[in-house]
Amino acid sequence: MTPHHNRAFRLALVLPLGLLAGYFLLLLGGQAPYLNGSTLRAELSSSTLLDAIRLSLVSATIATLAALAFAVPAGYALARLNFPGKRLLDTLLDLPVVLTPVALGTLILMALNTPPGRFLHSLGLTLPFTVAGVIAAQFTVVVAMAVRMLKASFEEISPRYEQVARLLGCSAGGSFLRVTLPLARRGIIASFILCWARAIGEFGATVMVAGTARGQTATLPSSIYLAMSAADLSRAVVLILILILISFAVLFLVRLVGGRRP
Amino acid sequence: MIRAEQLRIACGDFRLGPVDLSIPAGSYLTLLGPSGAGKTILLEALMGLLKPAAGRVLLNGEEMAAQPPERRNIAYLPQDLALFPHLSVQDNILFGSRVRRLDPAASRDRLAELVAMLDLEGPLTRRDISTLSGGEKQRVALARALLPNPQLLFLDEPHSALDAGITRQLQIKLRQINRELGVTILHVTHDQEEAFMLGGQIAVLIDGRLQQLGSSDEIYYGPANLSVARFLRHQNIFSLTVAERLPDGRMRLRGELDLVCASGRDLPVGTRVAVGIRNEEVTLIRPDRPVGDDLRDNLFAAVIVDIFGFGGYHTLVVKIRESPATIELNLPNCAFRDLGLGTGDKVRISLRARSLWVLPPDDGEPRGQHSYMEG
Repeated sequence: MTPHHNRAFRLALVLPLGLLAGYFLLLLGGQAPYLNGSTLRAELSSSTLLDAIRLSLVSATIATLAALAFAVPAGYALARLNFPGKRLLDTLLDLPVVLTPVALGTLILMALNTPPGRFLHSLGLTLPFTVAGVIAAQFTVVVAMAVRMLKASFEEISPRYEQVARLLGCSAGGSFLRVTLPLARRGIIASFILCWARAIGEFGATVMVAGTARGQTATLPSSIYLAMSAADLSRAVVLILILILISFAVLFLVRLVGGRRP
Repeated sequence: MIRAEQLRIACGDFRLGPVDLSIPAGSYLTLLGPSGAGKTILLEALMGLLKPAAGRVLLNGEEMAAQPPERRNIAYLPQDLALFPHLSVQDNILFGSRVRRLDPAASRDRLAELVAMLDLEGPLTRRDISTLSGGEKQRVALARALLPNPQLLFLDEPHSALDAGITRQLQIKLRQINRELGVTILHVTHDQEEAFMLGGQIAVLIDGRLQQLGSSDEIYYGPANLSVARFLRHQNIFSLTVAERLPDGRMRLRGELDLVCASGRDLPVGTRVAVGIRNEEVTLIRPDRPVGDDLRDNLFAAVIVDIFGFGGYHTLVVKIRESPATIELNLPNCAFRDLGLGTGDKVRISLRARSLWVLPPDDGEPRGQHSYMEG
């Protein structure tokens, strides 16, 4: 390759990268004219905004922990066990990842009208227009993603470690806890962070199931939607700014965790 | 002490067995076979990591089907060693003692003993196992396997990633472990030289079937069938017919070569057989020397058609005169230099009658004693 060809190739790589960076900076900077110190102070002291932030943080954390509680064993089972219908089940678990959240939210509401749904209702679990509904919607959206990531994490770990641990005296469960789980630590943390980020930005399914009641079921994303539909630009901009700051911090954390050795 | 009876294993399309094998306490058995023969699968079935399709595994006379791997007291050194990357060297070695909740004081004594035996004083202080050299990793894995005081040690090609010098040191250590700690060892390898060097009994596994079990010499000079002969790189194999039973019990064979052999096999006249001899057993007779009595039977005039050097020895390919047969023989370098041989030279060679092995040619059936006891 001549130096001239080299330059052209580099340009072909760097130009799209530069254009994308510029586009994202434009998106971020476009809100600056709508932002001023006094509205920022006013919005930050409003209780409904603080409620939305609190609800988003709490619901995303609970939904993500619940998702991991299912995804760690499920991902491990998909990575290690062989059983009839595994491929079908694997595909089924992928569906929520590709389905639009609005459709998922609708499906959750419809499932409430089935015998298992009615049974849960009889136990006192009410999802429509409740915080539990927010958590259920976020859980449904992120759990499949968590299973996928953890399955990949467990597949990267050679089963040989578990076999050696078994012969050194561990039970099947013991070898999982003492060897596999510590080796999957990085994958588990990374999937927690990404699922949490996905949950905190979730809008479609949450709105379908829990609505957007201010101070009750309104999360950060649904508050942005509410502010825009009321043409309250300055409020929307403050909410977006908070969402950006949280998201950026989380994504940066993923890079930090991902780059560190186990 | 460990015994497989009619063990059959199905793994995907691969079928292994039936295998009957018995390894007495304190012995060193090498399981030798080409890659894909099923050696690792057999180990996994004995350890309880793989459920056999049929047959049983007995440990000290006790049926093992219901016992999980952790209750079999077998130590395992896999090919990739599988040292736990999240633990320090010391935590790796002590893993088994902690899991089994062994007495900490006894474990520390055992650790000290193994550290001295395996020269691990330096590596023991390392926190990160990725900083260890290949040989150190292997010794750490050995110490980890031996710490819980196992009855049996299973090794699955543990030297595959090491250079020859380090491999030799570890082979010597393994024999020491077998003798001094009294651990019964089952060592899987595809390397014939290693199998013969380790010196114990050898089991040959090819295509999922145990083909032969015997001492180094039995396997080396008397392959049980043609698959074993070919795997052990017997180069001189001839297809002949039994022509005559001689009064002294020997057989005269005819075909591409006319030979007399001292095989004890009772084969009727007219039987087609495969006859072979190892390169090292072919004798080259100097032109000016008289021929000894034991070399007269199968004496041939030949011409050297090719010569290959292998560092310590030379392999000569000779064409037998008045026969289509070619024969390979090995000469140590000093003998090769003294004789000053070159291609085209006329030589005499002898195939000692007692060095020839004889097999029915299409003998697919594995033969030989498939279990052995000490003494």
